[in-house]
Amino acid sequence: MSTHAAILKHPLRVRMFHYFLVLSFIPLAATGVALFLKPFSEAAMNLLMRVHVIAGMVLTLDAAAFFVLALDRVVLFTKRAFTFGLNDVKWFAVLGGYPQKFLLRKKVPVPPMGKYNSGQKLFGACILVGGILLIGTGLSLWLFPHVIPHALAKAFGDIHLIAGLFLTLFLLVHIFLGIYMFDDFKAMFLHGRIPYEEAAEVAPLWVQGEIVALTDRS
Amino acid sequence: MSAEEYQYIENPMSVSRREFLSISGALIALTALPAAVVRRMAVKRNDYIRARTAGLYKDDTNAKVRVSHANQGVSRLYQDFLGNPLSEVSEELLHTRYIDRSRAMA
Repeated sequence: MSTHAAILKHPLRVRMFHYFLVLSFIPLAATGVALFLKPFSEAAMNLLMRVHVIAGMVLTLDAAAFFVLALDRVVLFTKRAFTFGLNDVKWFAVLGGYPQKFLLRKKVPVPPMGKYNSGQKLFGACILVGGILLIGTGLSLWLFPHVIPHALAKAFGDIHLIAGLFLTLFLLVHIFLGIYMFDDFKAMFLHGRIPYEEAAEVAPLWVQGEIVALTDRS
Repeated sequence: MSAEEYQYIENPMSVSRREFLSISGALIALTALPAAVVRRMAVKRNDYIRARTAGLYKDDTNAKVRVSHANQGVSRLYQDFLGNPLSEVSEELLHTRYIDRSRAMA
C-alpha cells in the first residue's frame, strides 16, 4: 500500500453543507448570545435580531437541502451518531485520552473507534436533535408567533434558548478539537481527503469495516 | 497529493435497505409529527379567536350604543373634564407610550 494513499472522508456535498453550516451557525450563536444578554442599544439589538433571522434562514435552507439531496448521508450520520456500545463506555471512561494528552502529556490506551469517536457521536446526536429543535422552534416563533398559543410560544422560546446555549457551548469544544485534528480540519474545509495511515490509526473500525478501494468497485 | 487524488472511499452499501428505510422514516416522523401537532394547536387557537370575534360582533349588534361618540357617558366626560379629544388632559390621561418591559417580563 502506498504511503500517499488517501480516503475521501468528506464528499463535496458534505463539505458544501458544512460551509453553509459554518456561515450560518457562528453568526447565529454570536447574535443569539447577544440577544439573550441584551448588552447593546435597542437599535443595535434590532439589527442583531435581523442578522439572527437571516442566518437562521440560511441554516434552515441548508439543512432542508441536505436532508433532501443527501438523505443517504443523513441516514448514515444518524446511524453512526446513535450507535453506542461497550467501546463508547470505555472511551468516555478515559475521555478519549485527551485530558491525559493535554494535561499530563501521557498517552493512554483508547478503544478502537469508527468514523466518529464517542465524543463526536454524542456531539452528532446533540446536533441532530438540537438542530431540529432550534430550527422548528425558531421558524415557528419567527413565521407565525400570532397563531401559537401563549404557553406553547413560551415553551418554544425556552427550548430555543436552552438548545441554542447548549449547542453554542458544544461548538467551542468542536472548533478547538476540529483545529487540533488538523488533517481532518483540512479535509472538511479543503479537499475532503485524509491520509489512509492516519485514518487507520484514529478510526480503525471505520477503515476495516466501511472503506473500499476504488478499484474494488469497478 | 493532487486535488482529486484518493484511492479509497466509504462503501456506499454500509447501510442496509432496512436500516435506510427505518432511520429515514424515523427522521421524517421526528420532524413531521411535531409540525402536525403545532398546526393542530394553531388551528384550535384560531377557532377560539373566531368564536371570540363572533361574540364581539354579536354583542355589538345587540348593544344600544355602538360607537364611542354616541356614548353619553363619554360625551359627558369630555364636556365636564377632558375638554376635547387630544386635549392636554386627555393626552396625559388616556394616551400611552412604548416602554421596553422585556427585562421585567423575563
